[in-house]
Amino acid sequence: MTDAAIPVRPCLLVVDDNLDNASIVQQYLEAKGYDISVAHDGDEALVCFERIKPRLVLLDVMMPGRSGWEVCRLIKQHPTLGRNVRVIMVTALDDWANKQNALQTGADDYITKPLDLSDLVARVQRNLALVSPVS
Amino acid sequence: MSAALLLTDSDDPIVADAARHIPGWELALRPAVELVAAMDALPEARALLIGTDDPTLIRAAVEGARLRHLPVILACRDDTARRRALELRVDEWYQLPASMDEIVARVRSAIGRAASFSADLAERVEKVELEEMLYDALTGLPTLPVMIERMRPLIKARGELIVFYLNFVRYSKLEEIYGWEKLDGVLETTASAVREFLDENAFRSTRMMVSFTNDDDFIFFHIPAAGAAAATDTEIIELARGLQQHISRRLEETQGDDIAAMFDIYVGYAHVYYNPKIRLERLIYRAIREAANAAKSVEQRERARKVTDLKQLLHDGAVYVDYHPIVATDTQQIVGFEALARGVRRSLRSPEVMFEVAAEADLVWELSRLCRMRALEGASRRLENGQLLFLNVDPHDFADPAFGELGDVDPRSVVIEITERTAIKDYPKFRERLTGFREQGYRFAVDDAGSGYAGLGSIANLEPDFIKLDISLINSIDTNFIKQNLVETMVKFADDQGAQVIAEGVERAEELETVKRLGVHLVQGFFLHRPERLAPIPPPENPSAATP
Repeated sequence: MTDAAIPVRPCLLVVDDNLDNASIVQQYLEAKGYDISVAHDGDEALVCFERIKPRLVLLDVMMPGRSGWEVCRLIKQHPTLGRNVRVIMVTALDDWANKQNALQTGADDYITKPLDLSDLVARVQRNLALVSPVS
Repeated sequence: MSAALLLTDSDDPIVADAARHIPGWELALRPAVELVAAMDALPEARALLIGTDDPTLIRAAVEGARLRHLPVILACRDDTARRRALELRVDEWYQLPASMDEIVARVRSAIGRAASFSADLAERVEKVELEEMLYDALTGLPTLPVMIERMRPLIKARGELIVFYLNFVRYSKLEEIYGWEKLDGVLETTASAVREFLDENAFRSTRMMVSFTNDDDFIFFHIPAAGAAAATDTEIIELARGLQQHISRRLEETQGDDIAAMFDIYVGYAHVYYNPKIRLERLIYRAIREAANAAKSVEQRERARKVTDLKQLLHDGAVYVDYHPIVATDTQQIVGFEALARGVRRSLRSPEVMFEVAAEADLVWELSRLCRMRALEGASRRLENGQLLFLNVDPHDFADPAFGELGDVDPRSVVIEITERTAIKDYPKFRERLTGFREQGYRFAVDDAGSGYAGLGSIANLEPDFIKLDISLINSIDTNFIKQNLVETMVKFADDQGAQVIAEGVERAEELETVKRLGVHLVQGFFLHRPERLAPIPPPENPSAATP
């Protein structure tokens, strides 16, 4: 399963209804060598998810319409893609109940706002290391 | 109107089967070298499934399909082929050998995605939701609307069918104890066990499906083969028994004895006779309701029988105890044992089942007393060098006047486990009792800690000596960073409180490594030790043998 030879850049989906936040994260991660797609609400996120088949989704919890929790659940239950994607929840709260919530929806990791961008990259890396390269 | 074509060079018979199972679709088989020409010759082609290994032919076909906006599915023999699928950005791929259901799902998904590029966003989301409703994500089984469409012509031709309703009980309990990931695994095992069983059986023509996605009920349609008689009642009862045994065996192999012992299945069935005046859907829904009710009454009968079994068990003292070692994470030395009481009779082997039945029959105290007595009997022979006995206790048991009778076991070697899941109604009174027991030398553990939303507050209230982490937190902890964070928090909290954390349910080396790294003090799990038995289980035919 060593796929280091193929020059495919890992594809990430960033979901945040706040345009500024999304754009900062996008620029920072692109500079670090990742292909980034951005969605601004839950419905758009689901469509992008199926189209680009990302290996990792960075998902904001608080969004109008479908919440991040719901989007995470739908992504993780996707019949063909759900097994091979990592989801990092972006949340303002760092309490026990919130983390349990993240577990129940199938999330793999979480990061709290305001984002520490170097911490974000560390989390992206450790999650990508656990997902097989072919999506 | 001509049928939509699935154009392919694959002569795999499963591909042909798959095409037959997409309503309104047909298969066009062409040699790989002719695929590009065939796309022009066959304008009704809606998708291209490539089976060849030849990279030049694959590339040509993919490029040809792209020009014609045709979605492409690639059958991959190995890793190289998969890499190629990725590189060429084909719409879907699958690994060989694949099941028919998977190929159907891949083709559908490729077509759905291709259609979406022009489709409106909202419509697209609706489509995703619709697809979710038609196929169960976990088991890959079709849901009711798909099934009725597929079966319609067969039912019309044969004139009758039998609907089976399989009610799996205690799956929700299982989820409560082990977490949803485990239940997902169990459902997958169940579905494939059912499929295997039906394949080897006279009920080969049976079609299976799930009634509701993500639920734990299954429905089968059995259409008797042409010229053959429908199954008789005896055959159906035989089928139900065989199915139960087969699923139990598979669950035991893949998920362990504890989970297999919790499992029960109740089967109901109903006949449908085709009547052209009545809508087929209505006939089928009625039959499903009827079969579900029948399953329910089987369940009630079985429960009544289990209560009788339990009364017999209490009379005969037919409970035995397994001792599951708890070891220090660093030295792997055994510091104690958790006593796990089980019924001698197979139907009451699982402690969850035993206590569930006891609660229905108001026999919890009696059963608890018996289990405690058995655990202590064994412990006096087993404990050495300050080893501890961990006893599961329901908070209600404290009120039992017989609670403190320990035989010749020292209270200082007993740890009382209280589950976080039990709601404690009268806290002051409960704490008063705890203090009383503590003064006698007993220690306390909070069991299933961290399973709920309550966090650390309710644990702090009990001032435990040990905190046993909920199994769901340990399952796959090596790949889930949220679980790691929660466990880390718990360890810090325990260190502050002077308590020790126990990780229960450690089944893999990676899980052990992770909890070790997080500073968990003690571990318990099949990866290190299986539960130990002092004596062989007495034969259930002669349960009185268990009485000393």
